[in-house]
Amino acid sequence: MSLQPQRIVLDNGIAVLYHPMPANPFVAFHGCLWAGTASEDKRGVAEFTARLLLGGTKTRKSSKLAEDIEKLGATLEFRNAEEAVHFGGKCPRETAPRVFGIMVDCLSNPSFPQSEVEKERGEILDEIKMDMDDTARRAAKELMASLYPNHLYGKDPRGEVTDVKRIKRSDLVSHHKASYGPKGMIVVMSGDVDRGLVEKRISPVLSRFEGEGERPKLPVPAPAKKATKIIPMPHKSQADIAVGLRAIPRNHKDFHALNMANLLFGRIGMYGRLGKNLRDTQGLAYYSFSTLDPRLVAGHWAIAMGVNPENLRKAVDGIRLETDRLHKEPLTDQEISDGKDNQIGSLKVSLERNAEMAGELFRMEYFGLGLDYLKRFPEMIRSLTAEQIHEAAEKYIRIEDCSLAVAGPVGRDQEKKLQLS
Amino acid sequence: MATVTKLDNGLKVILKQIPGATAVSVWIGYHIGSRNERPGMTGSTHWVEHMLFKGGGKLKKGDIDLLIGRLGGKLNAFTDTDFTAYFETVPADAFDTALFIEAERMRNAAFEQKEFESERTVVISEREGAENMPEFVAEEELWSNAFHIHPYHWLPIGWKQDLQRLDRDTMYRHYLRYYAPNNAAMVVVGGFDEAAIMEKIRQRFGGFKPEQPPEPMNLKEPPQMGERRSVIRKPGSLDHIFAGWHIPEFSHDDTPKLAMLSAVLAGWRGYHPFAAIGWQPRSNRLYKALVEAKLAIDVTCRAEVKIDPGLLVSHVAVRSGVPPEKAERVLFNEIEKIKQKPPAKVELDVARTQIRAWSGFENDGVTYQGMITTFFEMAGGFEKYDHTISAVDRVTAKDIQDVARKYLTENNRTVVHFLAEEVKA
Repeated sequence: MSLQPQRIVLDNGIAVLYHPMPANPFVAFHGCLWAGTASEDKRGVAEFTARLLLGGTKTRKSSKLAEDIEKLGATLEFRNAEEAVHFGGKCPRETAPRVFGIMVDCLSNPSFPQSEVEKERGEILDEIKMDMDDTARRAAKELMASLYPNHLYGKDPRGEVTDVKRIKRSDLVSHHKASYGPKGMIVVMSGDVDRGLVEKRISPVLSRFEGEGERPKLPVPAPAKKATKIIPMPHKSQADIAVGLRAIPRNHKDFHALNMANLLFGRIGMYGRLGKNLRDTQGLAYYSFSTLDPRLVAGHWAIAMGVNPENLRKAVDGIRLETDRLHKEPLTDQEISDGKDNQIGSLKVSLERNAEMAGELFRMEYFGLGLDYLKRFPEMIRSLTAEQIHEAAEKYIRIEDCSLAVAGPVGRDQEKKLQLS
Repeated sequence: MATVTKLDNGLKVILKQIPGATAVSVWIGYHIGSRNERPGMTGSTHWVEHMLFKGGGKLKKGDIDLLIGRLGGKLNAFTDTDFTAYFETVPADAFDTALFIEAERMRNAAFEQKEFESERTVVISEREGAENMPEFVAEEELWSNAFHIHPYHWLPIGWKQDLQRLDRDTMYRHYLRYYAPNNAAMVVVGGFDEAAIMEKIRQRFGGFKPEQPPEPMNLKEPPQMGERRSVIRKPGSLDHIFAGWHIPEFSHDDTPKLAMLSAVLAGWRGYHPFAAIGWQPRSNRLYKALVEAKLAIDVTCRAEVKIDPGLLVSHVAVRSGVPPEKAERVLFNEIEKIKQKPPAKVELDVARTQIRAWSGFENDGVTYQGMITTFFEMAGGFEKYDHTISAVDRVTAKDIQDVARKYLTENNRTVVHFLAEEVKA
C-alpha cells in the first residue's frame, strides 16, 4: 500500500487530499473549515450555525435536503468544534459529485428558517441537560474548565443554557456571512477514489464555494488552575473520575516521545500500566485509560475511569501510585521496544478502513505534518530514545499538578480525602 | 466470495480473501449467548468472555495483549444474547499469532480463582456504568417485560444479584461445555494465501476433540395476549419511550420486509453495531412526525437480528416539556398510518438505496467484514446477510403494509416509559 496521498489546492483555497483504497468500494470523506467556536463573537453561535446547515438552503427545505442525501445512498454530517467546523460522510463513488454538490449548497446557502432555529434550540438545550445527567461528561467538563480557564478549549462549544436561549436567527446569519468560506478549508477522501473522480468531477463542484471566512488566530490559553471538584449525583450507580493536566500542542517537538509514554502508561493492550493495575489486578473498573489530546495551540493529558463509589479512594490512590511509578520505575527498554513495535505495526492495521484513512489524512493536513508523514512515521518512532520518552513523562505527567473531577454518587465531603498530592 | 470448510472436529472455517489487503482479521464465534443461560446464572456467558483474556495453556496472563500490542493490532470480544465472538486484526504476515491465541482460548483458559474474583468487580462495574444511562435501564425493562419464558428476558450483562453470587466452578463448566470446535465458526478476512492459512488452521485447531453437542435451547415465548406496560421513575434529564413488538427469528422470510419497514419508519443505520455512530437519518416518517414536529430529539427503530423470535424496538427520546403520552400517541399513529396505506414509491426508493449503501459502509475494511460475517453466521448463516440485502429489492409497498399489520399490533407490544424525575441539587 502506498502511503503517500495526493494533494491539490483549488483556486478558492480549498486543500483536497485523496488516497485510493479500491478494496473498500465507497467514498469516505472528512474535512473542516474555519468557522468554529474560535470564530464566533457571541457564545454558542458557531455550534448553532453548524447544526442548522442541514436545516434547509435557499432552494431546499430541510426535508428535501434529507431526502436528496439519502436517495444518493449517502450520509452527510456537520459538527462544530472549538477550532473549526468539521464535516464528513460516506457515499457510493457514482453519487460522490452530487453529494459534494449538496454539501456546498449547505455551506453556501443555509436559509436558517425560524422553525428550524427553534427546533435546534430545543435540541441543544436538551443535549446540555442530558450531559448534566451524564457522570463521565460532567467529570470531563469540570476537568476541562480547570485545565483551560476562560479559554475556548475549557468551555462547552454549545454555550451555556442562557447563551443558547439568547441566540437569534440574525446572529446565525451574521456568523455564517463572516466565517464560512473556502480559504484554508480541508477536504480529504479515501476509498473508491482516483484522480479522474477527484480532479475532474468533485473539484469543480468544490470550486463553486465562495465566502468570507478566514482562519482565526487562536489565543494561547493561560496556565491551568489546579482544582479538585466533586459533583454529587446521588441517583447514579457509578462514579466517573477525570484526572489531568496541561501538556503540549500537536506540533510540539516532544509529541512523539510523550505520546509513546502515554500509550504505554494507559492505552496499549488492556489500557497499559494503568489498566493492568486498576482493572486487571485490582478489578476496580471496567474502563481506566489515559488520553493525550494535542490541539493547535495547547493540549492536555488525562485519565478517565468509572468506579463503584466505595472504591473511589482506592482508585485515586491507584492513579497516584501508577503516575508516581512512571518516574520511580521508568518505562523499561522492553516496554519501549514493545511500544515502538505497536506504533509501527499499527500503520498496517489501523488504516485498513476508508474512514480511518480519511481521518489520518485529515490530521496530516490539519496539523501540517506533511504529505510524507506516514512514510516518515516508522523512522520517527524507531529513532525515539528511552531518554526522550523518560524526559517527556517526567516533564508532562506530574500527578502533583493534576486536577481531579469526580461525578457520581459521592458527597462533597470527599473533596479533601481525594487530594492527588 | 467466501470459501467454507468444515474440519473433521466440526469447526466451520469461512475464508474471505482480499488480495492486496495489508491486514488480516481473525474472528471466532461460539454458539453460546445469554439465551443459553438459566435463571441464577445470568451474565455468566459475558463473564466467561472476560476470563478468556487472562491466559491459560501456552499463554500467560497478559500475553494476549502483549502479542497483539507488539503487532500494532486490534482485538476485542462481544457477548450477545445468541453468541460470543472474539477477534484480532493483525498485519497480514502475522495471522498465525491470532490463530495461536484463539486456539489456546478455545480449550485452555486458566480460570484461576483469584482472577475470577478480580473480574467479578470489573463485570459489576461494567453493569453499574450502564445503569447510569436511562436508555439501558429502560431497555432492560423492555426485554424483561416482553419475554417471560424465553431467556431474552435478561440482557447479556446479567442481573446484578447473579453477578454478586456466581462461582468459578459453574462458570468453568459453562466454558468447557460450549467452547468446543463443533460449537464454533472461524471467519478470516484479509490478505492471505488460502492454502497456507488453511494448513495453519488445521495445525492449530484440528487436534481438538469435539464435545457432546450442547442441548438445544427449546424455550419458546408464548404469544403475547395483550399490551404490557411499565413505568420507571428515576432522576434524569429526559423522558424516554421504548416500544417493542414481537417479530420472528432472523431466518424467517419476513426479515427483509421488516428491515424495509424499520427503514421507512425511522431510516437505516445498518446492521453493524458501530458503523452508524453519530448518523441521524432524517428522511423518514418518525423523524418528521416526532423530531421535526419538536416532540422528540431523536427516534430510532430497529428489527433485531436474533436466532429466536425477537423484537422490533422503537426508542423515542422525548423533548423537554412534551408529555410522553403525546409523543407515544404520535409514534403509534404513524404505525397505524402505515397499516392503513402502503408507503409511497419514494420512501421505498430511499429505504432500498440506504440499505444497499450501508452494506458497503458496514463492510469497510477487514475488521468490519469479519464482524458482519461472524455476527450473521451466528444468527443462522453468514450468507443470509447478502440474501437479506438483495431481498430488499423485491419487497413491495404491500409487503411492508402487511408486516406492519401482522406484527405491529397493540396486543403484541410492550411499552416502557422512563420518566425523568427532577435531579435534586
